[in-house]
Amino acid sequence: MLSRSPCVYRTLGRSLSAASQASNVVTRQHLSSHFQRKCQPRLQSSSHANHVRFFKISAVHRDEVVTVNTPAFAESVTEGDVRWEKAVGDSVTEDEVVCEIETDKTSVQVPAPAAGVLEELLVPDGGKVEGGTPLFKLRKGAAAAKPAPSPSPAVEAAAPEAVTPPPPPQPSTPPTAAPAVSAVKSSSAAAAPPAPSTAGVRGENRVKMNRMRLRIAQRLKEAQNTCAMLTTFNEVDMSNIQEMRKLYKDAFLEKHNIKLGFMSAFIKAAAHALTDQPAVNAVIDDTTKEIIYRGYIDISVAVSTPKGLVVPVIRNVETMNFADIEKAINALGEKARKNELAVEDMDGGTFTISNGGVFGSLFGTPIINPPQSAILGMHGIFDRPVAVSGKVEVRPMMFMALTYDHRLVDGREAVAFLRKIKAVVEDPRMLLLDM
Amino acid sequence: MSSQLSRIFSPLRAGNGNQLNRTRSLFFDSANSRAGLVLQSQSTDVYQNLALEDWIDAHVDLQQRSILLLWRNRPVVVIGRHQNPWTECNLSAMRRLGIPLARRRSGGGTVYHDLGNLNMTFFASKKGYDRQRNLKVVTEALRRLRPELAVQSTERFDILLNGHYKISGTASRLSRKSSYHHCTLLHSADRSALSSLLRPSCPHIQSNATPSIPSPVTNLTDHAPSLEWEELLDALVQQYNREFGLSCMSTMVDPTNESSFPGVSNMAAELRSWEWTFGKTPKFSIETQLELMDEQLDARCSASLHMEVKSGRVESCRLDITEDWLPLKLSKQLTDILIGERFCPHRVAASAAELLRPESGRLYRRLHNLCEAVVAVMD
Repeated sequence: MLSRSPCVYRTLGRSLSAASQASNVVTRQHLSSHFQRKCQPRLQSSSHANHVRFFKISAVHRDEVVTVNTPAFAESVTEGDVRWEKAVGDSVTEDEVVCEIETDKTSVQVPAPAAGVLEELLVPDGGKVEGGTPLFKLRKGAAAAKPAPSPSPAVEAAAPEAVTPPPPPQPSTPPTAAPAVSAVKSSSAAAAPPAPSTAGVRGENRVKMNRMRLRIAQRLKEAQNTCAMLTTFNEVDMSNIQEMRKLYKDAFLEKHNIKLGFMSAFIKAAAHALTDQPAVNAVIDDTTKEIIYRGYIDISVAVSTPKGLVVPVIRNVETMNFADIEKAINALGEKARKNELAVEDMDGGTFTISNGGVFGSLFGTPIINPPQSAILGMHGIFDRPVAVSGKVEVRPMMFMALTYDHRLVDGREAVAFLRKIKAVVEDPRMLLLDM
Repeated sequence: MSSQLSRIFSPLRAGNGNQLNRTRSLFFDSANSRAGLVLQSQSTDVYQNLALEDWIDAHVDLQQRSILLLWRNRPVVVIGRHQNPWTECNLSAMRRLGIPLARRRSGGGTVYHDLGNLNMTFFASKKGYDRQRNLKVVTEALRRLRPELAVQSTERFDILLNGHYKISGTASRLSRKSSYHHCTLLHSADRSALSSLLRPSCPHIQSNATPSIPSPVTNLTDHAPSLEWEELLDALVQQYNREFGLSCMSTMVDPTNESSFPGVSNMAAELRSWEWTFGKTPKFSIETQLELMDEQLDARCSASLHMEVKSGRVESCRLDITEDWLPLKLSKQLTDILIGERFCPHRVAASAAELLRPESGRLYRRLHNLCEAVVAVMD
């Protein structure tokens, strides 16, 4: 095997230096350090001499391109699979892992021998390699040479400016000037990144919009363009419902095994109000110019999860009581947490409730979730001084907003709808009395 | 010797303020050079334990000393660095059972861990990397404990019992200067969970990710019922000392202790992230036929689905479906909206729900059925 024969390496070294090549071949790991020291300066000066003779002297051509080979494997293993960590065009620092080679249950890291930009990957991802197989080509030097993700155009502008002074002295003293220019270049490139920190980095980062977001955006705009959207507000005194919750939450938890929250009150109140004002539960079919009145109430609850906004639906809320609603919310929450939400869980809905209060919102105009005609926005509960029977009292108050489609729902209906929700939440006994 | 012992044991006695110095001294004391360490993790959280492994690999000078780390995890499925979780394990069953998935940094295949499975990590310099020697520690310890058990390590670095059942598998990682070799040891793991979870989620995947090689397994306690966990650990520590000429006592370490292991909680957070666990899957493709149905009209149709998934996200998606079943525009909308989304049934369902909202009647039914079929492919 090659690794056990030093004389083969020496011959190899000599033939390499003899050949005039623009790229260096660096063999890793099993080259003895003594040999490396002997052979490299010769290699470098000959290739730089070639650079001077045959190429224009400019900062770009100054960079060396090294080919990195697969390290020899331990324990008589012969081959492994390559897994790329970086891609062509990525800039790497010295010792940063460029790829991993998986051999027989062992993952071996292959670091970059120097800082630079990956020019070419010589093996496809998952491809098989043996010890010594060329893996990738690295263009040494700092990232300033690369156009796309560089931190700022200012850096690129700075780098060429910095290197233009040195070239004039070049033709007279090629070999010594070569390392000097590359030193200047690398120092200018090295200098450039620190410079922006004093001026403030002004870079941009372009990220493609994902399709889901594009689609939702498109539909929201369509909704805005077709609906005559406006918002009416009201406020709710949460004292009674808070007291009810305080009184019954332990017993509720014991009986139903889930917590009693506020959403159930609002969802039930909304269902009650929707039965009262069917126009809010209806939707206009623009293609047939008909109004579709729906006999069932499916309430979509907008939930913000780390993976994005999901809008699960609670079906037939008109038949449910507070406990049923809490159970449904809980079941959907569990599913969302376990990533088990199915299409049926998120599909449809006749009315949406969105709770901005969890983020601390005070006041706001929600946007209708098409194809529906209205959306109720709940906001945060804050203590405020309000007038109660002629006196000023501090009560926990919540602002509510109803955004509705005026083509279908009149102002009077919208306000009545919202006032009904307010009445029910402020006094849940109204549900019992069907008022 | 006594001063060395007190240095090792004092972290257990000292308060948190001193803990930083005392535990650091475990690793960085030059008086401990040419010594070894035996550590036992207090945590049963796989991400914390894997992060501890990474921390030791990155921060401890292993040129002069070797370390043995003993750990175990609550039920979890652990895949190798370059594996595809969708081909290796049943993700929906794991979700239902609340069993998480972890991707380790070393190569190799998929394993099921629970509290009946012992993990051992042998840290050494790259020069000292010798897996057979490490496995010899295990086989010799077992031979001393229960000489009637026929244990033997194989060429593939497994340990077999009675020449047939696998009781230990190996994986390792070689960094720039250091190495670690870890292996499992089945003491009393739940074998039925193991076999039900380690089967593919999606049958139609083509990928060049590292495959696992299934083997029949058994627990040590199935053949030596009297073997206690503590007994096993003690025997392994003793054999480790014997093999490497050391005299270490086992020290408990807490992988959540940020002052002893600065940066470890960030490492654990990275290992928990979706980007690491699923996003590091090598590129793969899915090619399958979907059987579509319109129940109301009792009609059927066949469509072909081709998807390319890169870094755990749908890179391209093609659906070949006849125009008279579903307008091309709708099926194109579905394939379009999937691009860039995570390869996850939940994400697909959310995207599909978005598409279904404006539809009704026959188109709705068929589109709904199509979306369900696509979700079913991933689950």
